[in-house]
Amino acid sequence: MNHLPQAWGRPRDDIYGAYDSSYLQSHGPNQHTQQPIVTGTSVVALKFKDGVIIAADNLASYGSLARFTDVKRLRTFADTSVVGFGGDVSDMQYLDRLLTSLDTEEAYSSSGHTLNAHNLHTYLSKVFYKRRSDFNPLWNQILVAGLDGESKPFLASADLLGTTFSSPSLATGFGAHLAQPLLRKVAPDEEAAAKLSKEQALEAVKESMKVLFYRDARSLDNYSIAVITKDGIDLKENEKLEKQSWAFADQIRGYGTQIN
Amino acid sequence: MCLSALNPNTRAIVPGAPKVQQTTELQRPLQIPIHPQLLTLRTSQPTLEHHGTGYDLTNSVFSPDGRNFQVEYAVKAVENGGTSIGIRCKDGVVLAVEKIITSKLLKAGANKRIATIDRHVGAVSSGLVPDGRHFVSRARDEAASWRSTYKTPITTKDLASRMGGYLQAYTLYSSVRPFGITAIVAGWDSELELPVDGQVGSGPSIGSGGKVEGMTFGGPGLYMIEPSGMYWGYYGAATGKGRQTAKAELEKLDLAALKLSLQDGVKEAAKIIYVAHADNKDKEFELEMTWISNLDGPTKGRHQEVPKDILEEAENLAKKYLEGEDDEETKDDDKPAEGDKMEE
Amino acid sequence: MFRNNYDNDSVTFSPQGRIFQVEYASEAVKQGSVVVGIVSKTHAVLVALKRNAEELSSYQKKVIAIDEHLGLALAGLASDARVLSNFMKQQSLSSRLTYGRAIPVERLVSSIGDRAQTNTQHYGKRPYGVGLLVAGVDETGPHLFEFQPSGMTQEMAACAIGARSQMARTYLERNLEKFGACGREELVVHGLKALKESLAQDKELTVENCSVGVVGLGKGGKGLEGFKLFDGQEVKQWVDLVAEGAEEKEGEGEDEGMEVDS
Repeated sequence: MNHLPQAWGRPRDDIYGAYDSSYLQSHGPNQHTQQPIVTGTSVVALKFKDGVIIAADNLASYGSLARFTDVKRLRTFADTSVVGFGGDVSDMQYLDRLLTSLDTEEAYSSSGHTLNAHNLHTYLSKVFYKRRSDFNPLWNQILVAGLDGESKPFLASADLLGTTFSSPSLATGFGAHLAQPLLRKVAPDEEAAAKLSKEQALEAVKESMKVLFYRDARSLDNYSIAVITKDGIDLKENEKLEKQSWAFADQIRGYGTQIN
Repeated sequence: MCLSALNPNTRAIVPGAPKVQQTTELQRPLQIPIHPQLLTLRTSQPTLEHHGTGYDLTNSVFSPDGRNFQVEYAVKAVENGGTSIGIRCKDGVVLAVEKIITSKLLKAGANKRIATIDRHVGAVSSGLVPDGRHFVSRARDEAASWRSTYKTPITTKDLASRMGGYLQAYTLYSSVRPFGITAIVAGWDSELELPVDGQVGSGPSIGSGGKVEGMTFGGPGLYMIEPSGMYWGYYGAATGKGRQTAKAELEKLDLAALKLSLQDGVKEAAKIIYVAHADNKDKEFELEMTWISNLDGPTKGRHQEVPKDILEEAENLAKKYLEGEDDEETKDDDKPAEGDKMEE
Repeated sequence: MFRNNYDNDSVTFSPQGRIFQVEYASEAVKQGSVVVGIVSKTHAVLVALKRNAEELSSYQKKVIAIDEHLGLALAGLASDARVLSNFMKQQSLSSRLTYGRAIPVERLVSSIGDRAQTNTQHYGKRPYGVGLLVAGVDETGPHLFEFQPSGMTQEMAACAIGARSQMARTYLERNLEKFGACGREELVVHGLKALKESLAQDKELTVENCSVGVVGLGKGGKGLEGFKLFDGQEVKQWVDLVAEGAEEKEGEGEDEGMEVDS
């Protein structure tokens, strides 16, 4: 899967050849979502000693147009988990409402117990799989961050195909290419992540967000970031990337008009 | 089968047997406000004369003098149930119920009778407990379906209207019986202009953005729905066995002025349940209370149980109040006791 | 044929606001043999008396495992119990599939309560003729629930339903204070003693006529000791403890122990 949400879930042209659109007919079988419209780009997340840090920028793009610049792509669930959404924004809104209704149902009982991040991830992955099996996918890749049943840090991914995986660090979209290697450097495995302090993890995530802003044309330097621990969620929705340095930019060759 | 439950499109509202169509306000069948109690004032209580006439054997059948006896009998089931009350305060609403302890073997403090309908709405009922659960289940479905249609929480008033319609439908058919409950629904409709559910941004940063200056929203809501489907809004509502006593107490509070604070409302509610129970002293009971405050208050607009310490404080005050009532004439007995303490 | 005009179906209220058909259904529960349930801080147990139709027939099934974390005991129409328990198994499995979570016991019990209520409000249906005791463990610890044909469900500290169950309930009420601190073995013994109270005069507890179901928290209060059903020789260990004669000795021992503790 590459960084373009438009390409997600399609057979790769370089392997299977271009899609033969003559198969598409205006009358005929039902057509569901064929492509995302308004999209969010990367979500990055990293486990640390006491919890998980997750971040996503506040941009919703309409194709290559930076259309909405205040879109919050980290959604909280029951003050215990955070879901970060990449991909289609309207599908994200739909899923967010689904999570609200789930949260309401959980609050019917006053026991104080609710679904943990692990339960939430299982549920969302089933929703994705059901929808893709109906040929009507929800065009997202998501990261679920929180704590599992044993109050250990939990981080896992689910996507429009119903695919799931888990790792001490995860990133969606462009981040899977650019941020993931950086995060793996600080947390190559679970043992390493379990030794990370919150400060170290924060620094690694913020650095990843900065690199993504440098190199991903569909990104923004306004972002949201959440730290999830057993004490709850610390969510900041209007952060600005600090200490940007564009000195590398004039070394770039091969794009646009160049004099030398 | 399990996966179909995931698809919100198939998450249909589970209907009761009568085909109650999801209708709009205008399409809804007219509710004929036949107040069973008012009618029984005019005519005699159902006595032997009705036995054998057959008019009281089937739901949805009028007797020659225009009564639906099965609905009146359902009210009888309510009148035997534990007392429930609701108080509408200036900064919130409180619900309380007298739970008669029918067995020593019941787990203390479990078996909650006040239910959360949506985050901001609670409900309690007197009468047949399983019918109360049916009511709650339907109310939750109504609140959820409202949210999925309008992307905003249902108001207490709209919920009462929907549930009034639902209960009324159970008086229309001979294939069902009416609900053997009277339910009290309490909610706090947010005083802020709410975001649309699932909203991602905050709208345009310049201009009014469709917002109107100085507009007010929301507030407390309290409604009581009877087996006939009839409902009214209330300042203070009471139903169940001790309703007469409770009503008398509620009337003393001048709730219409809307000056009572939620904190005081909790104390009054506990007191009223204790006073209403005094007529039924031989049975033990548990007091259960929930509340919904405004957004600045202790529950931040959510329906929650009254915290243990506040509940206990309210119960102690209620007990003290009752003792005071009993000891009015025997005050002299207390004085030596106080004297003793001072000597120590 | 009928006692009065108001008891023909479950959609008719009597002038006193009663529904006789539902009350009659509760009588069906009393026709079933007795079952007892007790819960402590760590465990929930079900103990049941099984009946056989005749000497040569097998004994009736009284305890059903629903899921890893819960099971039930029934008194009344066993076929109604099978309908309800199949539904409960589906609900439990569905929760595990969609959320990866064991269904909270209260939620499961409420779901059959809601189903039973429907049967009391619609013409052409009849109330279920069975009472259930549901024992299980979830995130909030061990639980015991009683289910009645009316759709009433209640969380109990201890409970007994079925024929002559009043005597068992009296035993439970007398010993209620002790249950909280009991371990699984003591709890089963209390259950059997309660069961014994309800026996007909010429009957006694045997390995053939006893079923025991146990579920609890794992060792040290962590994890789960899954629901396990004990039948036949597996219940000998406990039946012997409450047998005639053994009981006296057992009782004395217990009393002594208590005194030493205090």
